[in-house]
Amino acid sequence: MLKQGQSQFEEKWPSMRPSVLKLLRQEPVTRSEWHDLFWAVHSVCLWDDKGPHKVYEALQYDILEFIKHAQTRVLQHHEDSALLKAYIAEWGKFFTQCDYLPKPFMQLETSLAAKTHTPMQKKPQGEESIVRKLMLDSWNHSIFSNIKQRLQDSAMKLVHAERNGEAFDSQLVIGVRESYVNLSSDVEDKLKIYRENFEKAYLEATKDFYKLKAPQYLQANGVQNYMRYADTKLKEEETRAQRYLETSWGCTSVSGLTECCVNVLVTAFKETILQECAQMIRNNETEKLRLMFNLMDRVPDGITPMLHDLEAHVVNQGLADMIAAADIITSDSEKYVEQLLELFNLFVYVLLQDSEKYVEQLLELFNRFSLLVHEAFNDDPRFLTARDKAYKNVVNDTSVFKLEIPIKNKGMGTKTQPESKCPELLANYCDMLLRKTPLSKKLTSEEVEKKLRDVLLVLKYVQNKDVFMRYHKAHLTRRLILDTSADNEKEENMVEWLREVGMPADYVNKLARMFQDIKVSEDLNSEFKDAHRNNNEYIADSINIKILNAGAWARSSDRLSVSLPMELEDYIPQVEDFYRQKHSGRKLQWHHLMSNGIITFNNDIGRFDVEVTTFQMTVLFAWNQRPKDKISYESLKLATELPDAELRRTLWSLVAFPKIKRQVLSCSGEVKAPKDITDGTQFWVNQEFALVKNGKVQKRGKINLIGRLQLSTEKSKEEDNEGIMQLRILRVQASGKKKLNLM
Amino acid sequence: MKVKLKSWTAVATWRWVANDDNCGICRMAFDGCCPDCKLPGDDCPLVWGECSHCFHIHCIVKWLNSQQVNQLCPMCRQDWKFKE
Repeated sequence: MLKQGQSQFEEKWPSMRPSVLKLLRQEPVTRSEWHDLFWAVHSVCLWDDKGPHKVYEALQYDILEFIKHAQTRVLQHHEDSALLKAYIAEWGKFFTQCDYLPKPFMQLETSLAAKTHTPMQKKPQGEESIVRKLMLDSWNHSIFSNIKQRLQDSAMKLVHAERNGEAFDSQLVIGVRESYVNLSSDVEDKLKIYRENFEKAYLEATKDFYKLKAPQYLQANGVQNYMRYADTKLKEEETRAQRYLETSWGCTSVSGLTECCVNVLVTAFKETILQECAQMIRNNETEKLRLMFNLMDRVPDGITPMLHDLEAHVVNQGLADMIAAADIITSDSEKYVEQLLELFNLFVYVLLQDSEKYVEQLLELFNRFSLLVHEAFNDDPRFLTARDKAYKNVVNDTSVFKLEIPIKNKGMGTKTQPESKCPELLANYCDMLLRKTPLSKKLTSEEVEKKLRDVLLVLKYVQNKDVFMRYHKAHLTRRLILDTSADNEKEENMVEWLREVGMPADYVNKLARMFQDIKVSEDLNSEFKDAHRNNNEYIADSINIKILNAGAWARSSDRLSVSLPMELEDYIPQVEDFYRQKHSGRKLQWHHLMSNGIITFNNDIGRFDVEVTTFQMTVLFAWNQRPKDKISYESLKLATELPDAELRRTLWSLVAFPKIKRQVLSCSGEVKAPKDITDGTQFWVNQEFALVKNGKVQKRGKINLIGRLQLSTEKSKEEDNEGIMQLRILRVQASGKKKLNLM
Repeated sequence: MKVKLKSWTAVATWRWVANDDNCGICRMAFDGCCPDCKLPGDDCPLVWGECSHCFHIHCIVKWLNSQQVNQLCPMCRQDWKFKE
């Protein structure tokens, strides 16, 4: 049995007290003393009814006593910084003890709590222990509340000194902050006092500091250095804030400080900094731009002016470059336009070189701008959009390369809008890559593919995609009819790629349809040859037929009347008979504008194979009966029955085919262009015709005189244009309706 | 000098030859296709009946399938029989 009174407070306290005092003073306590204290608290609280209260009061007395001593020690110092130092030393010790001293008094906590709450109720999480609270509250009342203003001021002075590059013990500032955070008596919002005093003072000190410093620095070092300064300072202040401001969960001190710094360092000088932006973009100073981007990204609406600058730059630079390059490009295009007016399109190489240069120029621009956005703006989506928007302007700009779409004006003199020539040039470039040309032969398959992909990239920015498709289709038609595709697989891939980049589906479908049709036609051709193999050697070997679907290929206006030479006329019924046997209920329509062949041309010099259109053939066959005669234009018109424009264009290609030294035909009079040909102009076969290679006359050889001779007529082009204009009007109306529906 | 033909590629397009311009069922032009098809040509052929009336094959088949008893030409009401 325990003796009565053995565990009474009065008996136990004297043995407990020394340990408590030692703990308060941070003096060493032996293991047994530490254990005994636990035991003593436990027994007093359990066996003495009034024990817990008595312990609490005794403890309070001792703590207050201790604090009183500490207070005198601290307040000895009158000078602020010494006061701060002393305070922090005392506080540091005391704060550590706040964690240790409550431990032995766990039982006290439970007993005291049991008086007020129901025994089973658990202590809510996070609530401070009674002893700890007692310690902190006492400290707050006796010391801190008296001198907190002085402490805070000297802490701010230290931070100021640190900003000026002086080193000091950062623990001094941290200690003050800890005092604020931990000594709050406000249970609801523990950080309230900290926020209203320490945080506010810190933010204000920061603001005042940079309000003074920033303009000075800007003045002395210029904007570009200032940006670097601001950037460094922002980072520095952020790290400093992490150290000196409260960072516990839910505390917004650091972000508040950052915002304050951004305001005073960046927002205040927003205009000045942004003024430099355009210049930097012009000079491609990506590092500085990146810096500016980082700064401005923190400011509301800071990026917007930069986006404008980038856009303006892309447009200006793009156009300037294109204009500079236009010296090369337009000088040739002018020739091209001239030629077009003359119904001939013979400056084939010049034009083709054009489109290649043009596309390369566009791509070079695109890559340059993309690199700028990548290096300076980290591929930020907002800047990518600005780049795209501006690039679109460049691509569709009408000031450098205009394409007038001529349409017959019905009644009212409606003006045609100038359009960018870009889609046409892109289509020409595609043609160069897909056709058998010096360029496509020079490149590997992968290179061709890459270049086609490049075209598709630019094409994405082209507004008038239908114009591109029109030209592309015309080129494709030529390639399929003349069998000049460099690579059939690539041709068909291209159709799919066009679909992928979102070209109008009806156009793409038509292209796909053409490939199908060509295959059907090839099968038919071999059947035709098989059918004639036995009875007629010649026709089986030399006549090919391409029977196509009217819906996918032809336009009625593409059909031109011509009186075929006997040599060709004979085959027509044979083909028609063959086809009638294959398909009843179908009728053939001949498109001699598109047909073509090879003739052998014999003269005194040698023998040459010449690839020609059927029209050229028809003209040349006129001399077969009277090889040495001169034949007038009028007679040729009668003999061939070709329309005037076509006959002129055909004759011109035989007297002035570009890039050959000796022409097939010669003519009388001054004929500089097709329009100079009159009814009386005489034509005769050039007996000296020969191929000239490296200055040497060749006796044998093959030459292609088809060149750029269009497989379509002027009239059908006009129809196409009207179709495109109508399509565009429909589209505008449709989008208008959509808008109305939304409203 | 004499020009000799070595080879020739003759290009032609084909069209339907029908007594009428339009299909009597869908009223679309024979040069075009029936309403269910997108492109005219081999995929949307014409057929003739013994009565010599002509329709898109898709149109007449649809019509014939919808007739319960007698299969008649929608134009002349004679028994429908495909020509050939």
